[in-house]
Amino acid sequence: MSENLVNLNVNPCKMCMPMGAVSALYGIRSTMSILHGSQGCATYIRRHMATHFNEPIDIASSSLTEHGTVFGGEANLLKGLKNLIDLYHPEVIGVCTTCLAETIGEDVDAIVKKFHERNPDESVKIINVASPGYGGTQNEGWFAGLCAVLKQVEPDTTPNNKIGIVVPQISPADTRRLKSFLGEMDLDYILLPDISDNLDGVTEKEYNRLKTGGTPLSEIAKMAGSKLTIEFSEFADEKLSPALYLKEAHGVPYVRLPLPIGIRGIDELTNTLISAGGVVTKEYEKARGRYIDAMVDSHKYNAQVRAAVFGEPDFVYAVVRLCCENGILPVIAATASVSPKLKESLLKELESCHDFNFTKGITILDDSDFAVIENECTKQKVNLLIGSSDGRRIAHKLNIPLIRCAFPIHDYVGGQRVRILGFDGSLNLLDQAANAMIEHTETHFRAKMYEKFYSPISSTSAIPKDKTSTHPCFGEHACKNARIHLPVAPKCNIQCNYCLRDFDCMNESRPGVSSRILSPKEAFERYIEIKSQLSNVTVVGIAGPGDALANFEETRETLRLIREYDNDVTFCIATNGLLLPQYVGELKALKVSHVTVTVNAVEAEIGAKIYKHINFMGRTYSSVEGASILLSNQLVGIKMLKEAGIVCKVNCVAIKGVNDDHVFAVTKKAAELGAFMTNIMPHIPVKGSAFENLNRLGSKEIVRLRDLCKVNIKQMSHCRQCRSDAVGTLDEDISIMWRHKPKPEDKTNASNKGMCKEVKQGESTDSIQERSA
Amino acid sequence: MNVSILEERKGSIANKRGKGVSCERESVSGSVSQRACVYCGARVVLNPITDAYHIVHGPIGCASYTWDIRGSLTSGEDTYRNSFSTDLRETDIVFGGAKKLTAAIDELMEKADPRPKLIFVYATCIVGVIGDDVEAVCRMTEQKYGIRCIAVKAPGFSGTKSQGYKLACDAIMTLIAPHKNQAKQFGVNIIGDYNLSGEMWIIKGYLAQIGIPVISTITGDSSYGKLIQAPSATLNIVQCAGSSVYLAERMQEEMDVPYIKVSFFGIEDTTSSLLRIADALGVPELSQSARAFAKKKTAEVLPIIEKYKPYLKGKKAAIFVGGGFKAISLIRQFNELGMKTVVVGTQTGKKDEYEIIGSIVDEDTIVLDDANPAELERFMIEKQADILVGGVKERPLAYKLGVAFCDHNHERKHPLAGFAGIENFVREVHLSINSPVWQYVKGGAA
Repeated sequence: MSENLVNLNVNPCKMCMPMGAVSALYGIRSTMSILHGSQGCATYIRRHMATHFNEPIDIASSSLTEHGTVFGGEANLLKGLKNLIDLYHPEVIGVCTTCLAETIGEDVDAIVKKFHERNPDESVKIINVASPGYGGTQNEGWFAGLCAVLKQVEPDTTPNNKIGIVVPQISPADTRRLKSFLGEMDLDYILLPDISDNLDGVTEKEYNRLKTGGTPLSEIAKMAGSKLTIEFSEFADEKLSPALYLKEAHGVPYVRLPLPIGIRGIDELTNTLISAGGVVTKEYEKARGRYIDAMVDSHKYNAQVRAAVFGEPDFVYAVVRLCCENGILPVIAATASVSPKLKESLLKELESCHDFNFTKGITILDDSDFAVIENECTKQKVNLLIGSSDGRRIAHKLNIPLIRCAFPIHDYVGGQRVRILGFDGSLNLLDQAANAMIEHTETHFRAKMYEKFYSPISSTSAIPKDKTSTHPCFGEHACKNARIHLPVAPKCNIQCNYCLRDFDCMNESRPGVSSRILSPKEAFERYIEIKSQLSNVTVVGIAGPGDALANFEETRETLRLIREYDNDVTFCIATNGLLLPQYVGELKALKVSHVTVTVNAVEAEIGAKIYKHINFMGRTYSSVEGASILLSNQLVGIKMLKEAGIVCKVNCVAIKGVNDDHVFAVTKKAAELGAFMTNIMPHIPVKGSAFENLNRLGSKEIVRLRDLCKVNIKQMSHCRQCRSDAVGTLDEDISIMWRHKPKPEDKTNASNKGMCKEVKQGESTDSIQERSA
Repeated sequence: MNVSILEERKGSIANKRGKGVSCERESVSGSVSQRACVYCGARVVLNPITDAYHIVHGPIGCASYTWDIRGSLTSGEDTYRNSFSTDLRETDIVFGGAKKLTAAIDELMEKADPRPKLIFVYATCIVGVIGDDVEAVCRMTEQKYGIRCIAVKAPGFSGTKSQGYKLACDAIMTLIAPHKNQAKQFGVNIIGDYNLSGEMWIIKGYLAQIGIPVISTITGDSSYGKLIQAPSATLNIVQCAGSSVYLAERMQEEMDVPYIKVSFFGIEDTTSSLLRIADALGVPELSQSARAFAKKKTAEVLPIIEKYKPYLKGKKAAIFVGGGFKAISLIRQFNELGMKTVVVGTQTGKKDEYEIIGSIVDEDTIVLDDANPAELERFMIEKQADILVGGVKERPLAYKLGVAFCDHNHERKHPLAGFAGIENFVREVHLSINSPVWQYVKGGAA
């Protein structure tokens, strides 16, 4: 999607409220949740959480049906509560609503009341959370869940010496770290919620399907009597803020802090805890010192980072602060939540960052999606993504590293162990950022500098190294690799004077030489057969005997069949270029990575001497008119190849007295158009052709020409001018092994049999030409 | 913790060859069913159509949770790997969302690249409740832009996942019906394969080597242009019967394309499927060719199975998968390995499939429909299963119980179908069952 859409969310960067609500309830001891709605909500959410946490996630559903939707879901929910108790024996049940329950207007309070009336002996505490999927993201769901717990538990207002700690969605490992930090400071606290055990369980002798970690309700009740509430959220809606609720309902003082990520965030927390009676240990001082030491160590690597940070507001804000402290330029800060306050805070934070980086163009995205983020990443030249694994599609597409450090993480293990809080968590983030930069530099600087400063030939810069290096024609050190030429293209659309039209087409070196033409299906079968016997086959080529594009139906079908079977093999075709502009798109779609275009002249007048006529769009053109049509299509086509990322080799047949003085100009033009290399080869005089009496250029003259043209473009020096049904390595054509295989119904073959023989370089071609009908 | 089976669930659990196991029913509230919903079923079937724009009309969750989570591969466009949603909010619920949907489609037609030629609009739970006329919007889109725009009214509550499969099949019929009068051509459609990790390509490759042309694939690696050729085929072969046999039946009735059910999991089923396809086409040369091909391929994989067999013989398997046909193939595959299936269940298996399951398992094998985690836990422990075959939701449970696991779901990254899949399957089963980690889990080392 190249343009941003306003009315359509493309690739969501958020989840729904029920997801957040049930996640938060996982931090309450012995709690089970039931989603009041369709069966799918529970299942999708379970799958999402199970892959992130690698834990069994059991969430019930009231499995509303058509009947329940029309007449109310009371019966379903009542039964569901009963069944859930029978199966899990929980102490607490969270009933979280969904889109459906809210839209049909379910009165969950009344249903719960009825449940208690019908089951007077049932001691389970039922907490009702309003969490319609359309009401916000999982972040709102999380806080809605926490508020519901606080409001529905019987408060214990007896003053105590504890600090209530309210956290947004952080990982179990970070939760553990936060707890031990509070412990080290010798503070008594109540964590709301505490998912550290329930979503990062241990393997035990006996499995317990009810999660008994987390904060018990009896403790949560005491938050009403705490000396202080610290809420690690500055952006949660005030109506959904547990800290504000505790203040309003029970007069508990509170502070809202950003997540303790980065030096300022951690210091703010530490100072708050000190004023609440906490004690700073020697170890803490050392850890802080080490952290600053590490900031200094990495600051120059971090200065290379252009980061896109995406996720929920509290995460984005804290990570952006960490970035700014370390010279990382957060060029995109994106959230899918609706949070005007976040934008305000970010703008303030980014002021100093703008100055340091001589930039003003930092993108802040609110209510966003991944399609928009992706477009911004391209514009802003982002080189590091920080967020959930949902950013991996951008990472793969734009080849940008992604630090996976927020929920959900689906493609990596360890979502439950993500560490971003405190000194070691922040360092973990910083190290990953710096190492991503170092990795990039290490991988690219040699080639980059070489290309930039060493080689005067710039056209080599965009070669896809892997495929080219294994192509026996394009890669100089690939002579061990074999290729198969499949003769599926009999027709040609131009007549060259060096080529005897009845026999062959001088398109690629010694073309037209083929024992017989194969249908695409036969070609596919030949490929399978040869591939099973020759393991070093890396390239499939279509080089005639006519022109690959003049027979495009056959070429396409052949490549399609093979591509379906083998996604890796390199596709290579040879053409005179007349139809190239028409088919570059399709070639790209077929994943053809290499194309050879035979260009013998870049001036129409010279071309007119070489080409007798061309057939184009149903008409025949001769002399200069024909040559100029061919030439303009060749030039446009080669340029399009370059744009499509297809490696192009230009073949040039050097014909003594006709174009040998012009070859230099051809190679120069080829370089300008972005070709990868040129292959200058001698014209082979074919008996019966217009040029049959011209002399052939000697190998010394060819070597001299190649030397001369080296300044323009890379030269192929190992060409063997092979057949259009060649098989094997360049040095060893073993196509004879397959050529004799007769087609059962092919009568012409029997008479031609004796004519098939191995071709040696330099041998005249006419005696071995043959063509099936 | 002891597991008592819920009263309403007792009918869905049976031993004695699964006799009379109750299935094709709604899930029990509060039982923690592993099933998804109607929307899920419809999306699974239609999602692999590579050049379609799949728009979820509803609040964001459904689109978010189904964004590119399945391993269906494409050889063409990859539009289907995006997730489009009208992302309905509170005000849309109050004032209706049809306008937003129309605006979304208009915008897509104006800006999207490639330009849409086929759009599916999935109406999720609340769309019907708030009264949006999605069909009217789709009709108008077709008229205005001359493209296909098909409404899939799939509120989650309107049945089980199977109902969603049916809706998807109906949508495909709507798509191809205008093209039903094409001339017939010799060749098959492959139905009910989703090209997970290239499985469609594997099967197509086999058929190509035997000499059987494939006209259309439904829906793995399919496109609008290819799908509409489906009515011209001479035969439909149905791989995932659970999701697609209904489509094959409709095509047989309305387009005169007969069908056969096939399965490409395991040597036995792959071989017999290839032979049956060739036989059904009625060309003796093809039957011969299929036999020779299967023989050659079997000879290739047998040594692999033999290599692993000593490590797997006598181990006990539990199976919990989506459909009955897959479960049947898996039981046979475990038999090929000398393993015994001790627990077998499906999310949406059908009566006739449970009958077949009953006929190929032992007397004391537990057969269960729409199981929940508590039941899976109880029977895996009771029957001392060594491995569970299932989906991602079941994996952590197996691991917590010290049971090995084989992923047989839509998210996997390696093919399990065909002869190529056999090696993957056997290796995966071996590597998990015989992993050194279990000896530490089970208290073998201090």
